[in-house]
Amino acid sequence: MSLKMPEPDRAVLDRRTAIIADLRRIVPGEGVIDSAAEMRPYESDGVTAYRQPPMVVVLPETTAQVAGVLRYCHDNGIKVVPRGSGTSLSGGALPLADGVLLGLGKFKRIREIDFDNRVVVTEPGVTNLAISQAVAHAGFYYAPDPSSQIACSIGGNVAENSGGVHCLKYGMTTNNILGCEIVLMTGEVLRVGGKAAEAAGYDLMGVITGSEGLLGVITEVTVRILQKPETARALMVGFGSVEAAGECVARIIAAGIIPGGMEMMDKPAIHAAEAFVHAGYPLDVEALLIIELDGPGVEVDELIDRVEAIAKGCGQATLQISTSEPERLLFWAGRKAAFPAVGRISPDYLCMDGTIPRGKLPEALARIRSLSEKYGLRVANVFHAGDGNLHPLILYDANKEGEMDKAEAFGADILRACVELGGVLTGEHGVGVEKRDLMGDMFSEIDLNQQQRVKCAFDAKGLLNPGKVFPTLHRCAELGRMHVHGGNLAFPELPRF
Amino acid sequence: MTMSVVETLKIHDAAEVEEAVKAALAADTPLEIVGHGTKRAIGQPLAPCRALDLSALDAVRDYEPSELVLTVQAGAPLADVTSLIDSKNQEFAFEPMDTSVLLGTAPGRGTVGGMIASAFAGPRRIKAGAVRDHLLGATAVSGFGETFKAGGKVVKNVTGYDLCKLIAGSWGTLAVMTEATIKVMPKAESEATLVLHGLDALTANRAMTLALGSPFDVSAAAHVPASALSHGGVLAELDGGRRGLTLLRLEGIGASVAHRVGSLTSALQGFGGVDVVGEESRRLWAAIRDVAPFSAAGPLGAWAVWRIVCPPAAGGELGQALARETGGDLMYDWGGGLIWLAMPPASDAGAGRVRARLDAVGAHASLIRAGEDVRAAVDVFQPQGAGLAALSDRLKRSFDPRDILNRSRLVRSVGP
Ligand SMILES: Cc1cc2nc3c(=O)[nH]c(=O)nc-3n(C[C@H](O)[C@H](O)[C@H](O)COP(=O)(O)OP(=O)(O)OC[C@H]3O[C@@H](n4cnc5c(N)ncnc54)[C@H](O)[C@@H]3O)c2cc1C
Repeated sequence: MSLKMPEPDRAVLDRRTAIIADLRRIVPGEGVIDSAAEMRPYESDGVTAYRQPPMVVVLPETTAQVAGVLRYCHDNGIKVVPRGSGTSLSGGALPLADGVLLGLGKFKRIREIDFDNRVVVTEPGVTNLAISQAVAHAGFYYAPDPSSQIACSIGGNVAENSGGVHCLKYGMTTNNILGCEIVLMTGEVLRVGGKAAEAAGYDLMGVITGSEGLLGVITEVTVRILQKPETARALMVGFGSVEAAGECVARIIAAGIIPGGMEMMDKPAIHAAEAFVHAGYPLDVEALLIIELDGPGVEVDELIDRVEAIAKGCGQATLQISTSEPERLLFWAGRKAAFPAVGRISPDYLCMDGTIPRGKLPEALARIRSLSEKYGLRVANVFHAGDGNLHPLILYDANKEGEMDKAEAFGADILRACVELGGVLTGEHGVGVEKRDLMGDMFSEIDLNQQQRVKCAFDAKGLLNPGKVFPTLHRCAELGRMHVHGGNLAFPELPRF
Repeated sequence: MTMSVVETLKIHDAAEVEEAVKAALAADTPLEIVGHGTKRAIGQPLAPCRALDLSALDAVRDYEPSELVLTVQAGAPLADVTSLIDSKNQEFAFEPMDTSVLLGTAPGRGTVGGMIASAFAGPRRIKAGAVRDHLLGATAVSGFGETFKAGGKVVKNVTGYDLCKLIAGSWGTLAVMTEATIKVMPKAESEATLVLHGLDALTANRAMTLALGSPFDVSAAAHVPASALSHGGVLAELDGGRRGLTLLRLEGIGASVAHRVGSLTSALQGFGGVDVVGEESRRLWAAIRDVAPFSAAGPLGAWAVWRIVCPPAAGGELGQALARETGGDLMYDWGGGLIWLAMPPASDAGAGRVRARLDAVGAHASLIRAGEDVRAAVDVFQPQGAGLAALSDRLKRSFDPRDILNRSRLVRSVGP
């Protein structure tokens, strides 16, 4: 890997033993891990290609301990990397050699279920799925559903602003969070928002969500819960061309229909998935759409008819409509298993995550195809078609000399293409270290400086998760400086009324 | 309108905004950011300043109905933009409030920039969110005099910090928005409203809680007590006997709405008879959205109006206590989570009595209508605790270090 991380601070590393002793006083018992063997599971997150043992792992159990650790690190100039379940697909939880890895795994309690206000107050280490399970008996669920939901933590979801196949209709994490408790790098504990629909003042919850662990450590989250729709049914439609499938998606939306989920797979992805789960996917089509409609039975039935008519108008090659719950789940089984399915046909794969304007899909796929030829690497595409979020899976073999570098270069080219087509570098996985050096392709230096100034407002010393998101780190004093030319700012003539 | 404006700069293109901010920095004269100026009477009175009139930045840059995305300049008239997207059967799902009813400004005015900066979401907020949930991207000029881009032009994006969230609802205090990309949504094909009569606030709150906790996808839930219906208007007509209205809206395709009307009606059996309103439903919800019972032209036009946001299930009790203690008149939206409180004239608009009750339930209040002298005397927006206030101040300075944009609009200055 050719990833450049902030230079380790020798002075900190030299004091490692003393630092560990100090941390043990803040988090007593088993909460401080410093042996190489026990630290190994924390060396990487979901991006296993990047590995780095931390200086020490700390697993606090209370907000007071988190505050104590952060205050100590702040006062002693020690970097901190927060970690939830370590499923990040952008390397956001990658440790630093001279940093404390702060794991929130012991924050495992749901603190309050409040059905009247339709919220759950939970500790950050609780998994996404556990929240839905805790309220299922009353017919409720937590809407954002990343495929990793059995493992990923709600704290990680907030940090990454994670999405799922249902976020077209129900929103991403940011649209389903009302408040949090956050500990700043100084150790200051703040409560942001709560059970009310909106908080006073600037939308701090909004900027904290998706901030990838760079602004503060989240120690409690208040999430919105919804009633489960009465029913859900799915259509599975095959097309002879990606263009036809894209056109079908556009017409469904133009007809005013927002499906609960609308996913597309290209031929290589269909084949890999079918070989893995035998969902009955058609193998001779170029693109497959899975369209799920949810709501009251009468509504779902009528919308199924409408979508079927639209699909037929777009020249569908195959069309199946689920008539039972097992059948609906079978349609999804292949899509949900797409990543492991691709993992079976290739020793390694890289999962990309760009977003494009939906209408640019055929163009994006054509570009990916020609890049695939250029790099001599295969690619399978799965796609949250409703919202333009593309997940190309690049197949490679890390044991072959230079293939990993090639795969990374291929991935970077895909993301650049997404930006050129009017899209963005990441739709739901975050920037982390993986897309960090591409930020300049999407944002100007001025844009990035403004974002880093926001970081400074939360963490003036830049000790929290440095080396992530931003390609270059600036000192806060430098960013805050107003650039004055010759002692005076320009004073242009302006039209006045 | 605002006395403190020394002159107005009329902007002709986005590049001039940057120049104007730089000039303001050089002269150390703050800028008041103005679209159509319909909400100038909201907020702390401004320090002496120049007004920056953005209304000429009114172009629609891009509208792709099948992408659900609209890009417009910040000064684009909301009315024009609304009819443009309406022609494709789309809308802003958050139902932006028309503040002209409450403030007595010219109807149908207001820009997209003002809508975003003030962020008053209407009844559908409980289902569809607020403008913060639909602002995908923006171009803006910071108080450094630099044009920056936030977010993107696609509906799904987590690249970098979500600065759009900070811009929405910031009342122009962080940056001057010149262009915005907003998510639009298809309009519902039909709607119906269930009406319950004569419930007290606590019972109404329970009925709304039940409805919002049901699987029937209620898109709005409001309660207007009898006292707020004594001033005429479409809600009073519906009420007839002035006993109080509790309204629950269902939207979607016809068959679905009909089905849910049936199911929800039976679920609400314990709350007395249920009427169903079809045709008139839209007008009812416009009246709720715009707080028509307290309209500037109505009998309470001279009263101050507070907007109180609280946990929805706490609304009934909080509202009753506030009514009792302040002699004010109130109505509830968002299933109890939004209380509009009209206060009999007083030099501080009853700020102390209103706010005394809020902390205990996790609520906050802003003073949306009051004379300039009243607004100068009280905290218009809810003061934050020390930690959050300090962080907000650091954020403000990270965008606008010299406090050149809408100086003192959000936070009352406590002297030099
Ligand atoms: C098989 C697989 C499928 C996936 N599918 C999806 C998907 O469908 N949609 C999707 O959006 N993502 C998906 N992901 C990505 C990943 O699961 C999400 O990003 C998830 O939210 C990460 O949660 P985590 O608890 O594992 O966080 P981690 O990986 O531990 O950390 C992620 C980031 O959050 C920060 N962080 C974690 N906890 C906290 C906290 N308490 N306070 C402050 N910062 C914190 C870390 O510093 C890091 O930057 C998938 C991953 C895998 C492996």
